[in-house]
Amino acid sequence: MDGEIAQHGGESDREMTRLWRTWRTVYEMLADRGYEVSDEELQLSLNDFRNKYADPMGYPDRTKMKIQARPTELMKMKYTPLPSKSNPDPQPDCGTIYVDFCPDSSGVGTKQVRAFNHIVDESNFHTGVFITQTPISPSAVRLLSGVPGRICEHFQEQDLLVNITRHELVPKHVLLSPEEKGKLLERYRLKESQLPRMQVSDPVARYLGLRRGQVVKIIRKSETAGRYASYRWVI
Amino acid sequence: MPAQASSKHALKTSLQTAYAAASAEQPSSLPTREEQDKYLEGRPRATTHHLGIALQHAHQIQAQKDAEEMILDRIIELLALPSSPSADPATPSPQDAQLFKSALYPFRPSDYDSLVEERNNEDLCGYGLCPRKNRKDHYGQGQSFRFKYGAKGTGPGGRGRSVDIVPSDNIEKWCSDQCAERALYIRVQLGERPVWERRANDTHAKNIQLLEEGRAKSQKSKVESSKAALRTPQLDGGGDMMAGMRNLNIQDNERSEELALERGDTGRIHRHGRVGVHVKENELSEHSSASAPQPRPEDALGGSIEGYVPQDRRDKESTANQADLLDQI
Repeated sequence: MDGEIAQHGGESDREMTRLWRTWRTVYEMLADRGYEVSDEELQLSLNDFRNKYADPMGYPDRTKMKIQARPTELMKMKYTPLPSKSNPDPQPDCGTIYVDFCPDSSGVGTKQVRAFNHIVDESNFHTGVFITQTPISPSAVRLLSGVPGRICEHFQEQDLLVNITRHELVPKHVLLSPEEKGKLLERYRLKESQLPRMQVSDPVARYLGLRRGQVVKIIRKSETAGRYASYRWVI
Repeated sequence: MPAQASSKHALKTSLQTAYAAASAEQPSSLPTREEQDKYLEGRPRATTHHLGIALQHAHQIQAQKDAEEMILDRIIELLALPSSPSADPATPSPQDAQLFKSALYPFRPSDYDSLVEERNNEDLCGYGLCPRKNRKDHYGQGQSFRFKYGAKGTGPGGRGRSVDIVPSDNIEKWCSDQCAERALYIRVQLGERPVWERRANDTHAKNIQLLEEGRAKSQKSKVESSKAALRTPQLDGGGDMMAGMRNLNIQDNERSEELALERGDTGRIHRHGRVGVHVKENELSEHSSASAPQPRPEDALGGSIEGYVPQDRRDKESTANQADLLDQI
């Protein structure tokens, strides 16, 4: 009897630890994207996480796990398009982000995604991130990407177990503002279509929430030059 | 935008024909002068012809997007079937059956699979007209295959039972083997070709039959065909082709409109088909006998090779000409 309880405890503990790692990666992701995140939130310890989000059985309670964050000034600047004739005073194309952990452990389909879309739409969030334990069905993916005027992303918990951008082989990706992008194109006398490309479905692009048409600067270490910068056009 | 709304609405009823009708509603397929100028401004060598082509492609892409959205809507609609929780999948109510069949028309097999997956997510049998739950056996983890036993006498040599090893996912999609058969019977009738590429006469997926209907029909037709075979001797169809060839008419306005509709491009082409067809037969003259070649004076030295005169022979000719000139002087 005792052994069973211990085993049970071990299982809940494992799930709690895994979810805590995901939780931390989500906060790091928000910080890397440029949202306002406090240091305490970034460095939440496992014990604090357990106290806050565990149910009486010791399992994580995902219904409580919801995050909202506002963009910083720097991020707003990066997401403001250049003023043009028809739009002399452009507004930044970013806003409050909302992260939701789906509590259902299997069979996530259109029902859950519709509920999520509804929350995002009703509370007027600019971006929504939907995190599930299992893959979602193809029609749910289509439904998620079909919200007009809003950006909805999807991650699996296991995708965010480790932060891929902290790996030593992943170079640093820096998003360029429209102004910097213009300068780059002018300096090298390029059209944007002449830049090397990167897919929106690229893991780092997904992590940073990049959109089609943006340009990132990739900084690598180089044995001969010290640092080497290259650029990618996100398509 | 009322025009767009109406076309969208029309698209939900029946595809190609409605799309063609919707685009025919706007006789001037080119946009207003201002929009044309705006398009041509940034493109120095573009003409309105390019604009037309760009628009045509844009319309195609839009039709594709609309169709995908419609399929998604229909998947969500079909999750609510059947309308009563006590419905029998073998004898569905006529309204449900009609709704189910008409909704499936634009589906591809892959869309149908995602419908099944969605229904399973809602704890329903994958067959759209079955109100029961899908079966779920809990054998624990790692049990991803099941034994499936056939009826008595199906085994090797007609003895015992046949045994199949089946992935458990395939079994857990349905409530029973009967429902699995019904659902797969529908699946094989769906067209592989996406709906925005289908032609108006593509009857492949138009007349979807439920398994029960298909069975009833095949029995009936079997009886009828056996009767017919008894009554009438076979007719020879050899003479039909000549008659058909005689009736062949290349430029038939009605038919060409039909053809344009089939292609789904009635929008911006001529009333009478894409181009005018003029058949011009080669004339055979009465006295067409070729005469034998006659030797000409310039052929004395062998002539030219397809217009080319070799160097040495050319030199000879020119000296000969000069000699002639001197004689004249």
